[in-house]
Amino acid sequence: MKSYQLTIKVDDKQVVLERILQVTRYRGFLINGINAEVNTGTNIGTIELMVRSERPIELLVDQINKLIDIKEVKVDNNTTT
Amino acid sequence: MANEKKQTGGSLLFNVMQQHGVEHVFGYPGGAIMPIYDALYDSDIQHFLCRHEQGAAFAAVGYARASGKVGVCLATSGPGATNLITGLADALADSIPVVAITGQVATSAMGSDAFQEIDIFGLSLACTKHSFQVTDVNDLPKVLHKAFAIALEGRQGPVLVDIPKDIQLAEITHSLEDFSKLKNMVKLPPANVGSAIALLNKAKQPILYVGGGVGMANAIDELRAFIDVTSIPSVSTLKGLGAVNPDDENYLGMLGMHGTKAANIAVQECDLLIAVGARFDDRVTGKLNEFAPHAKVIHFDIDTAEINKRRTVDAAILGDLKINLPALAIPLSIVDWQQKCRKMKKDFAWDYNHPGETIFAPAVLKEISDKMPKNTCVTTDVGQHQMWAAQHMLFDDPSNFLTSGGMGTMGFGIPAAVGAQVSRPTDCIIAVTGDGSFMMNVQELSTIKRFQLPVKIVLIDNAKLGMVRQWQDLFFNGRLSETDLSDNPDFVMLATAFEIKAKQITHKDQVSAAIEEMLDHDGPYLLQVKIDAKDNVWPLVPPNTANDKMMEST
Repeated sequence: MKSYQLTIKVDDKQVVLERILQVTRYRGFLINGINAEVNTGTNIGTIELMVRSERPIELLVDQINKLIDIKEVKVDNNTTT
Repeated sequence: MANEKKQTGGSLLFNVMQQHGVEHVFGYPGGAIMPIYDALYDSDIQHFLCRHEQGAAFAAVGYARASGKVGVCLATSGPGATNLITGLADALADSIPVVAITGQVATSAMGSDAFQEIDIFGLSLACTKHSFQVTDVNDLPKVLHKAFAIALEGRQGPVLVDIPKDIQLAEITHSLEDFSKLKNMVKLPPANVGSAIALLNKAKQPILYVGGGVGMANAIDELRAFIDVTSIPSVSTLKGLGAVNPDDENYLGMLGMHGTKAANIAVQECDLLIAVGARFDDRVTGKLNEFAPHAKVIHFDIDTAEINKRRTVDAAILGDLKINLPALAIPLSIVDWQQKCRKMKKDFAWDYNHPGETIFAPAVLKEISDKMPKNTCVTTDVGQHQMWAAQHMLFDDPSNFLTSGGMGTMGFGIPAAVGAQVSRPTDCIIAVTGDGSFMMNVQELSTIKRFQLPVKIVLIDNAKLGMVRQWQDLFFNGRLSETDLSDNPDFVMLATAFEIKAKQITHKDQVSAAIEEMLDHDGPYLLQVKIDAKDNVWPLVPPNTANDKMMEST
């Protein structure tokens, strides 16, 4: 089981957080932690998502990237637990 | 501005639809969508009332798949909206561009467990490509334009727009010319053309694995040109059928669980597998780690997330097939391999000899395929009849074979045929169904009657849930749990009640005349074909088994 931290930039839209959580669960990743905040000046949200899975993180990154309101997904670290 | 005018949200909806070329919609009215239906009353868009929202959703899917346009369906809040979900899931699994409009309770009542209120926006997350809920009428034009753009761009799919009742009624001043096409939002990494060319040059036994993406990309011509230049042997997925010219001597038919023996053996033996708009679905691969075990893989797709999802690829070619296929079309020296594939195709050709007097469904479907007019569009339901249609009917375009692939949704065939017939009024539309599936959306016979749609229904009737029965016999020790349908209604009488001409046949010697009578009939027609309940679909790759270890009989 590997743990990863994703930093996701999003448009501040309704349900964007729900969409990310739904995709994360469906694609087989467990959530260790989450931070989310919105820059009210730019209306861009930043979500830090700590996840773990047996599956390669690219599978999740590719699926989150397909969501319409996502601007960017970065994998910040890559640690084995 | 000169073209600005005051209108309600409901009226704007149809005006924006018209800007996107929508001529026909499928739906069912109800309380929370009444202002939209009121606006429809004044619109030039033609509405087809289905008899269940699921029927409307599948009609929209059939319309989209038969025509290449966006299919549109409408439903009210609550149960109307939830009844659309199966159709949206089907459209998502098969990448079909559909826009679904749902009414919602007024914004002031939202979140109060109001009458016919359900959080369809929340429910849509897992079964749409994207979804919107409009809470300000001034957002409505942009949302609707985006909905149509998202349904069509990149990998196509269903989009839901939930519109509360007060937003449908609210007035908006809006210029209808205020519509610019969204720029293509799909960003793709560069295609790995160099590596792919090197792999192609090295390959001695390449196979082209053709999926539904070819038709979706409108790249049939480019695919066939690629095949002409390379002379590469090819196989097709269920959804890809029709993309390769069925008369191509190097085309081996469908691969996978019920694929041809030649196709499955060729894929297992190939040294290079070129997947084109296909996604290594489990019904295609069988046991994944034994699928095409000696092959390097080139994967053409529009969806980055499909690359390396189930099979690690050696060269990814992301982007538009119309551009990328010609870039890789180079002549290959693979004469020995072609001969081997052609020999397998001949040696393992279908055998239509069937002892006894009972009707052999594969032979019926082959005869229909041989006799049906050019540009006939066949829809199917799901089960044995679906696999027999895929195996024994030939199609020259994927838009002429509409079948629920990814979702495998029983109840698809009849409403999909309604949508197909509306989009192509002069083409022959044949729905091949089974007695289990037919009953799942049988209410749509009423839609066929109402609009006098000349749909031909071929009901392959074994009075069983045949595919499940087959698996119970093969893999569950013959314990036939809940698969007997011998108490089915009299289907001829049922069709007659909807003023649909109908006939039952039970013997081989009735088949040819009955097919001709059906095809010659002007209006809708139901042909009930009674078959032996013990007939199985062969070949069959058992679960978790490599594709070359198929069963061919019991």
